[in-house]
Amino acid sequence: MKPILTIRDLVKTFGSHTVLQGINLDVHAGDVVSLIGASGSGKTTLLRCVDLLEQFDAGEIRLDGEPMGYRVEAGRRMRLKGRELARQRSRMGMVFQSFNLFPHLTALRNVMLGLTKVRRLPVAEARSIAEHWLDRVGLAGRRDYYPSAISGGQQQRVAIARALAMEPRLLLLDEVTSALDPELVQEVLVTIRSLAETGTTMLIVTHEMRFARQVSTRTVFMDHGAIVEEGEPAVIFGQPESRRLREFLSSMSQ
Amino acid sequence: MQSFLDVLASSSGALLNGLMITIAVSAIAVATGIALGAVFGLALTYGGAVVSFPARMVVDIVRGTPVLVLILACFYMPAGIGLSPGPLTAGAFALAVFCAAHIGETLRGAFLAIPSAQTDAASALGLTFGQTLGYVLVPQAVRQIAPNLVNTAVEIVKASSLLSAIGVGELLLTTQEIIGRSFKTMEFYALAGGLYLAINLVIATGGAWLERRYRLR
Amino acid sequence: MGYALDFSAVLRGLDQLLWGLGLGLTMGLAGLAAGSVIGIIAALAHVFGPRPAQTMVRLYVGFIRNMPILVLALFAYFALPQFGIRFSNITTFAAVLAIYAGAYLTESFRAAMITVPHGVLDAARSIGLTGTGMALHVVLPIALRNALPSIGNNFISLFKDTSIAAVIAVPELTFQVRKINNESFRVIEVWLAASFLYVATCALIAIALRRLEAWFPKF
Repeated sequence: MKPILTIRDLVKTFGSHTVLQGINLDVHAGDVVSLIGASGSGKTTLLRCVDLLEQFDAGEIRLDGEPMGYRVEAGRRMRLKGRELARQRSRMGMVFQSFNLFPHLTALRNVMLGLTKVRRLPVAEARSIAEHWLDRVGLAGRRDYYPSAISGGQQQRVAIARALAMEPRLLLLDEVTSALDPELVQEVLVTIRSLAETGTTMLIVTHEMRFARQVSTRTVFMDHGAIVEEGEPAVIFGQPESRRLREFLSSMSQ
Repeated sequence: MQSFLDVLASSSGALLNGLMITIAVSAIAVATGIALGAVFGLALTYGGAVVSFPARMVVDIVRGTPVLVLILACFYMPAGIGLSPGPLTAGAFALAVFCAAHIGETLRGAFLAIPSAQTDAASALGLTFGQTLGYVLVPQAVRQIAPNLVNTAVEIVKASSLLSAIGVGELLLTTQEIIGRSFKTMEFYALAGGLYLAINLVIATGGAWLERRYRLR
Repeated sequence: MGYALDFSAVLRGLDQLLWGLGLGLTMGLAGLAAGSVIGIIAALAHVFGPRPAQTMVRLYVGFIRNMPILVLALFAYFALPQFGIRFSNITTFAAVLAIYAGAYLTESFRAAMITVPHGVLDAARSIGLTGTGMALHVVLPIALRNALPSIGNNFISLFKDTSIAAVIAVPELTFQVRKINNESFRVIEVWLAASFLYVATCALIAIALRRLEAWFPKF
């Protein structure tokens, strides 16, 4: 079975600092890959490159075999811009640490915006799809509320619904519980778990080690821009091989 | 029919005179405005109710009134109490008060923005209020409003054009007189516009230069 | 003359004064509306447009903000007829006001646009909105809300600037006051009344604006 996402030798530099040192990763349909590592290890940058929010400097990212972010013309890589880039972006869904809901739209309209303006669906159809996804994340009763009127956990669930309504090939989650008050974290984790159980392909950057261990089908440990260890969660968390991973895990359990 | 350049040549003296008056009136108004504005600012921020209330009244009334109305009021009202200050004095006074009210309000904002921890620290050292004001509060406030002063000066130069309405022979009135004689309407209004632009650009550049110079200190 | 305050002349002319006040407010609103259109377009051009557009906007703003309104108004009213462009003094002044306001409003809108949180822009991009879509459906609605206080302050300034129209004989408040001044010689009373009317109107506008801002809070 061909992977949905293939990343080969991905390199990203910011000025003189190399943030991603050649990442290689495959994600298959139904995989729930958790990405762990210390701050600054490049996890968020990797996610942002995959979602084409950052331009990467070398390597390739392929979604269902199609190269992302550029087009090959006469043997040279031409960076995609504007509409083409936007189209590629819409095939992946991203949920952010700070939710980033559109503050001027209700929850329902937040979810509908991509449907009407990007997928160009008629309003009635967009509304029913949006209502379905809000229901799926348990927020049917909040659909006419503005982001400022709902809790952080609820906002994050709306953000998940917004991303899923676009029917992306995979869902990227960037530390989606880190900005939440502790009592609001659970509702989001429960939502993500139920998505995993229904087969949503996900790439999750998280600090919630227990959750990563329980929910993911594979865990990847990154350090200083490179993948150091990857494998089954039980192995990664239970029998870490590399010294760096062991140091990281012990520092997280403090 | 004379050409524009001919008229310009023959009236260059008058134009220069008008330009000088514009610059002079603006400079006097800004200088006086700064001094008076400092008084307003201190009164508004640190004066007790007896001092700050009348200051508040004056500042609010002046700021809520258009400059032109202030100018006309200062020109016409003195006759009612038996004074006849003349257009230049009346106009300069109006501009100065306008400037002072604006600066006073800005200063008040600057003073209020200084964290109260500063006054606490000064008191802890044993400084009197006067010393605190002079060595801690005023220097910080002045540094804060410095960029604002450039904008205020530009506004005063623009407002000085309104003195033409009460017969002060500044740049705009002079321009209108030349137009009245030569009918070169577009050319001379454009020239006047260009001259105002030039004055204000010089002020802005000068302000930027001063800012850079004092930042380096 | 002024020692014994006598407001009868003012009160007799009250309806003219209020009419003039209304004209001033109308011109102010027209200037604000038209100026806002200019301002939004210019701000969009500056933030999202190519380099030449940015330069043009910067030149427009820099030029107008350093120019006395009176010079612009006199140029428009007396010089443009030479090119066959001849409008009434009211229309001319309203147009000048719009162009003048546009320069200041450009800065208001621009500042509001660039302070839209980056995260929200990321989210817009991640669902696949293009530049135009993002500008229209995300940036503009948020920026317009955030610019409200600045627009409000601009309106108050604009209303005060309508007094300058008196110089080209537009019968707004200041013109009417000057007329009563010259006819009745009640020099102190008329200018006190003038100041009072302007200050009161500005205060009322400010209160209304604060209500409006409470209704549409900033993001």
